Amino acid sequence: MDYPERFDVIVVGGGHAGTEAALAAARTGAATLLLTHSIETIGQMSCNPAIGGIGKGHLMREIDALGGAMARATDRGGIQFRTLNARKGPAVRATRAQADRTLYKAAIRSLVENQPGLTVFQQGVDDLLLDGEQVRGVITQMGLRFHAPSVVMTVGTFLGGRIHIGDNQHQGGRAGDPPANALAEKLRARPFRVGRLKTGTPPRLDGRTVDFTRLAEQPGDDPAPVASFMGSRAEHPAQVSCWITHTNERTHEIIRGALDRSPMFSGDIDGVGPRYCPSVEDKVVRFADKSAHQIFLEPEGLDTHEVYPNGISTSLPFDVQLELVRSCAGLEKAHITRPGYAIEYDFFDPRDLRPSLETRYIAGLYFAGQINGTTGYEEAAAQGLIAGLNAARGVRGEAPWTPGRDQAYIGVLIDDLTTRGALEPYRMFTSRAEYRLLLREDNADLRLTPVGRELGLIDDARWTAFERKRDAIEREQRRLAATLVRPGDVDDAVGQRILGGPLRREQYMDALLRRPELGYRDVMALAADAGGVDDPAVAEQLEIQAKYAGYLDRQREEVERTRRYEETAIPDDVDYDAVAGLSTEVRQKLASHRPATLGQASRIEGVTPAAVSLLLVHLRRGDQPAHRRSA
Amino acid sequence: MVEAVAGSLPEPRRAAFRGFRDDAGELLDEGLLLWFPGPGSYTGEDVAEFQGHGGPVVMDRLLRRFTGLGARLARPGEFSERAFVNGRLDLSQAEAIADLIAAGSDAGARAAMASLQGAFSREVHALVDALVELRVYVESAIDFPDEEIDFLSDGEVVGRLRDVRERLRAVQRTAGQGRVLRDGMTVVIAGRPNAGKSSLLNALAGEDTAIVTAVAGTTRDLLREHVQIDGMPLHVVDTAGLRDSDEEVEQEGIRRAWTAIAGADRVLVVADDRQGPTEEDVRILAQLPAKLPVTVIRNKADLSGTATGFIDDPERPTVILSALTGAGVDALCDHLKACMGFTAGEGTFTARRRHLDALERAAAMLDRAVQQLDQGAGELVAEDLRGAQEALGEITGAFTTEDLLGAIFSTFCIGK
Repeated sequence: MDYPERFDVIVVGGGHAGTEAALAAARTGAATLLLTHSIETIGQMSCNPAIGGIGKGHLMREIDALGGAMARATDRGGIQFRTLNARKGPAVRATRAQADRTLYKAAIRSLVENQPGLTVFQQGVDDLLLDGEQVRGVITQMGLRFHAPSVVMTVGTFLGGRIHIGDNQHQGGRAGDPPANALAEKLRARPFRVGRLKTGTPPRLDGRTVDFTRLAEQPGDDPAPVASFMGSRAEHPAQVSCWITHTNERTHEIIRGALDRSPMFSGDIDGVGPRYCPSVEDKVVRFADKSAHQIFLEPEGLDTHEVYPNGISTSLPFDVQLELVRSCAGLEKAHITRPGYAIEYDFFDPRDLRPSLETRYIAGLYFAGQINGTTGYEEAAAQGLIAGLNAARGVRGEAPWTPGRDQAYIGVLIDDLTTRGALEPYRMFTSRAEYRLLLREDNADLRLTPVGRELGLIDDARWTAFERKRDAIEREQRRLAATLVRPGDVDDAVGQRILGGPLRREQYMDALLRRPELGYRDVMALAADAGGVDDPAVAEQLEIQAKYAGYLDRQREEVERTRRYEETAIPDDVDYDAVAGLSTEVRQKLASHRPATLGQASRIEGVTPAAVSLLLVHLRRGDQPAHRRSA
Repeated sequence: MVEAVAGSLPEPRRAAFRGFRDDAGELLDEGLLLWFPGPGSYTGEDVAEFQGHGGPVVMDRLLRRFTGLGARLARPGEFSERAFVNGRLDLSQAEAIADLIAAGSDAGARAAMASLQGAFSREVHALVDALVELRVYVESAIDFPDEEIDFLSDGEVVGRLRDVRERLRAVQRTAGQGRVLRDGMTVVIAGRPNAGKSSLLNALAGEDTAIVTAVAGTTRDLLREHVQIDGMPLHVVDTAGLRDSDEEVEQEGIRRAWTAIAGADRVLVVADDRQGPTEEDVRILAQLPAKLPVTVIRNKADLSGTATGFIDDPERPTVILSALTGAGVDALCDHLKACMGFTAGEGTFTARRRHLDALERAAAMLDRAVQQLDQGAGELVAEDLRGAQEALGEITGAFTTEDLLGAIFSTFCIGK
């Protein structure tokens, strides 16, 4: 039957990409339907129970700055919070939280259920409704037809999913869930380029059988960092520690002795796994000289004894898993609650997507998340938000929006995917961002919330709080630039403590703040009645912007230099054979990557600056109507 | 920028005579300055045209002055490209622009290749490898803080950074062209007595600087002459004939000759072509420092009757000439220019200028990285290293973040 109500946007999948997509579309006012094969698993963390980390924490903050759910749910579900890289500088500083799976899932589900304009329906999707090259809706497993001009696919690892444990294989989208094979078949029949990737998880352990007295404790930070701009420490549930143990030579012997039974090495797995998240068998083979590898024992939640031993993802047979786990200190008597496994799944070459995440072949169809070859909750959620936003904008006839590489890690992520494709599961690292110093966790709100507000993603409460912070920063910056501290203002004892001696000449406060050794509080303490702001987030901005001014200016100049290329769009129907002067190799590269802008073209390996110039000349020539030749 | 170099802007589209000065106010060159404010210029943007005296050295100094103020060298065909993009060229002209860019980039690439050969290329590539290794350490410490590889906090990075900086300085030194461009190459004329060394100096200098007689041992002390070959500065040092002598003054001259040889960029060993290589010539060649480039001059071709010219033997380049008549001296001049790296004309010159410019920028970034490391800001160290690598990438080709990540993953066991 045809479902009686029509929707603007249908989102298929209730994972991290799907929920952010549905929420974003609904926030902008689109009538949105979230279709999932199981309402119970909305917001499920299929892999390790943690959000954030280097690069990923940045994505989480950006999603938050655009009004997304991930950071809010993290504050409600986080049971251990840490700031990584605290001493390496503000740009690479990142928040990471262990999350209670149940609390996190509940927080996401509550945000989904309470979002006005968002409807949820439980049913797997088998096919798309198409009208030529335009999507019109979806058909569910029981033949129900839902109609909408925009559809966002966020089906994760469920397309053609195949699970390996030793030489044992079965079909599945995640342990315990069926794959979406009918849909995979249908999509494979379209002109999309399809690839196969692999990822894995470790066996889970029963915490009651772990001897924690033999392990190193890793407590959270105190005070704990807060994930969301709108969050607070008061939301955090009880906090617990993680624990660290190591593999040893005996573990490695056990693994080496069983390699012939690993599907990774027997040739059963064709999918490409990530280099930064290797299985433990991979680690032992590739880094044979390393005598120990770390294992982080991460609690799965407050109301469960299950522990996630991060670092020993494996697809070895179960008997080997048990033996290798029990060879590690503290795990001698460990009971495995669920075996580890590797999963292979289909992904679609993201070079077949536009920067809006709309597919090139079917109008109104958007892809987000692991289907695009990424890994990680944050990477998925970031794409989901952009796909959901653009799906809704498309319905209203508005131009799509995707942040640039200079604006957000989300921009880096989408640009990398759509320009270069994915050769392995794509994960964010800060080293992927050339404008790393500009893209900090601490300024995600300043970078994105204003544009988010224009896009309709930001509610009034957040906007008011944001404006308050932004205005405070600007007001205080003006004051610091106009306020002199005179030698006479500085008490001898204070000068000695802060400056190591008296202030030698009068100086403006902002100049003092630029000194590497002086913090905002120090400058305020120099003169009695210096005033100043109390909000530590405001003080932090003032400090960073003063001390990094030179570097930040240089990066901004770099951004300006490339702006012309970034803003020159390359039409879909450009004929690279007609561009004079290009080498055959460059022509082929451009034709296969199909860059959306000159900037993207310049980032394709092997495309020279001269080739970009030729392309620019060709495009400008096309602009000039007098030149139009008879077709 | 124009005002900083030339004092003030002249009236638009009128040539004005100006001195072009460096940042200390020293005169670099004098010439004509033309000012075309946009959009009434070739490209449609503000354009200043400096017409100087030419010659690679002066030109190089001027270019350095401009790059020091933040300018960069134009890409091949860039002026025309800009003119086109800004709507200053009509469509028929535009047809030619694509060809121009394509051809320019080919010529540029060839010139860059010509300039990027041999030892310089090897050293730059080795330097880039060392820099990549360093970045692998720094970037993995940043992106993988849980991996027990925190090199920022141990001494590893400091040592490597200082090492890379030293190597970069060494490349700048051996590339040497920077110094050669500014200060000129020092060429020492040596040989046994009466082979015609002083005549050769005079032939190069074009005037009678050295006293030339038929008496062996006439030159007792060093004679220095500053010579320009097509604008390239050359310090020529004429030395006393190298022979065993009992005479004290001559002995002193010979000692000074060896000192001069030790400080030379190249030695011209002059022999009498009528006698072929004598035992003494062979002994002198054997005594020269092993790494010192040598050119053999077979002089007095007017008397021996041998055809003058250059013999391109990589082991022992040789010029046959007559210092007296001047025959073959052109061949020597061409050879010396080639030694300074100015064979292939303007293309190579600009390519090399680009390389030196890139090396200088990389060096400045590395210096700052050292400072930042002292102050403990890991991400700023990383930023400066990235900048240094990007600068060097202009010489060796781009190095992408994918390349960097690949290097990280093959060096360290990363991942939970």
